[in-house]
Amino acid sequence: MTKKYDTPLLDELEKGPFPSFVTEIKKAAAKSAMAADELGQLEKSFRDKVTYWKHGGIVGVRGYGGGVIGRYSQLADKFPGVAHFHTVRVNQTSGLFYTSETMKFFCDLWDKYGSGLTNFHGSTGDIILLGTVTENLEPLATVLSMNGFDLGGSGSAMRTPSCCVGPARCEWSMIDTLDITYDLTQEFQDELHRPQFPYKFKIKTVGCPVDCNASIARADLSIIGTWKGPIAIDQDKVKDYAKKGMNIQEEIVNMCPGKCITWDGNTLNINNADCLHCMHCITKLAGALKPTPPFGAVILIGAKAPFVIGATLSWVIVPFMELKPPYQELKDMIRNMWDWWNEYGKNRERIGELIIRRGMREFLEVCGLEPTPELVREPRNDPFWFWKEEDFEKKPWEEFLK
Amino acid sequence: MEKEELKKAIYQLIEQSAGKKKYKQADVIKHFRQQGIPDADTKAAIRELIDAGDLIYTYFGGSYIELGEKRKGT
Ligand code: HEM
Ligand code: HEM
Ligand code: SF4
Ligand code: SF4
Repeated sequence: MTKKYDTPLLDELEKGPFPSFVTEIKKAAAKSAMAADELGQLEKSFRDKVTYWKHGGIVGVRGYGGGVIGRYSQLADKFPGVAHFHTVRVNQTSGLFYTSETMKFFCDLWDKYGSGLTNFHGSTGDIILLGTVTENLEPLATVLSMNGFDLGGSGSAMRTPSCCVGPARCEWSMIDTLDITYDLTQEFQDELHRPQFPYKFKIKTVGCPVDCNASIARADLSIIGTWKGPIAIDQDKVKDYAKKGMNIQEEIVNMCPGKCITWDGNTLNINNADCLHCMHCITKLAGALKPTPPFGAVILIGAKAPFVIGATLSWVIVPFMELKPPYQELKDMIRNMWDWWNEYGKNRERIGELIIRRGMREFLEVCGLEPTPELVREPRNDPFWFWKEEDFEKKPWEEFLK
Repeated sequence: MEKEELKKAIYQLIEQSAGKKKYKQADVIKHFRQQGIPDADTKAAIRELIDAGDLIYTYFGGSYIELGEKRKGT
């Protein structure tokens, strides 16, 4: 094809050993005017140090409050191909498994209805289809749904839940992350497609504390697989690691945050009562150490990157929840916290911020949770306990005086 | 309140506040709660109005409910 624009600045990004989005857009530009004008506008943006995209607007599919993110060019005269350049989020499969047939379906779909540019996957987890026009949205949604796919979340809604690959491929997974994600997605269709919250709400589920989906940093509700049994030890395999040159004292014992491992050069011992379930020793000594049942999950709340108070990791609210279908306990808890957030949350206030504003104690009460030691994030700062009038009537010590 | 009557009342609320105040779904629910309408009824009525295209979800830093004509106009 003939080159439509000179792009000296973008061309710089094709150099070096890494895959280049510029190279990919150029390929797409061979058959898509939209992708070609995308390159032209981007080069101008780089040159002028100005983004020429207009945000927002009202685009979408009937009945849906999200899934399409409206984008328009401010330079539509110059780059008519990107006058509309809406992004479509499509609910990804749990664990991101696709047949090649499905991948071909998406490629053909997007050559037909959009720019041909996709992103598998966006940081939300969704399949991202980049660049389409308003008129194509309704037919696109229809074709997607005929093929078993649906739009994802955007706006003040529950966002498309996502998870790690879990039991499908990973030996560490202690919960069925794929099933939980699919189940919650189906259960909360309304909350996903009909934005009804003060702001966004993300649920990310991972099979173990390695947290391959970074749920502890990125999700309003993090569900992290964990175990309650002792860590099983195969002493011969531990010795193999030592023989092959691993410094067990340095790399395992000294790195254990629970300070609960000892190694005498021959036998590894773990004081499981002090284990913090971080997975460090287990992943380092793969094959030699193994978590044992009961398996379940830690439930945490409220992570967000740019909080008013700075980046915040999510906060343990349930140290161990058994997660078996139909996950009723989890679902009830989620509904309770949403009701509270809807009642008191200010516009654009994430649930973690509301907890900081109104207090963890009230949040626990709303969720029907008892405070436990595992909830203490900062010693002497998080007692969660305040005496109420009726507590003065009780005389709990009498029980001990008997 | 009958469902159709409630739908009309919700539509009017959004219509009359257009250009003045933006309502989120929770604001509409709270508004009608004060008139003794159960939250679930309001939610169900909003759902039907959205599905019919009379009202739509819009986005401006957060998601709001606005008149359906707005989409046609843009
Ligand atoms: C041998 C006698 C005592 C020892 C070794 C001792 C030791 C301590 C220590 C180490 C702390 C700090 C705990 C922390 O890190 O929060 C503490 C806190 C405290 N102690 Fe003592 N203490 C003694 C006697 C007393 C007595 C006789 C009283 C009162 C009449 C008392 C009242 C308190 C109070 C009110 C606190 C603060 C608790 C809080 O942090 O909320 N202590 N004590
Ligand atoms: C008018 C009298 C008193 C006032 C206004 C007063 C005030 C306070 C305040 C404001 C704190 C800090 C609380 C906190 O940081 O959470 C405190 C801590 C403490 N007070 Fe008093 N106090 C008084 C009398 C006493 C007496 C008579 C004792 C002991 C016989 C006492 C023992 C302590 C102890 C042990 C702490 C804890 C220090 C810590 O947390 O490390 N106080 N007091
Ligand atoms: S988070 Fe744990 S279970 Fe999930 S893929 Fe990573 S290591 Fe495996
Ligand atoms: S999982 Fe973490 S805390 Fe527990 S024994 Fe291993 S290194 Fe220590």
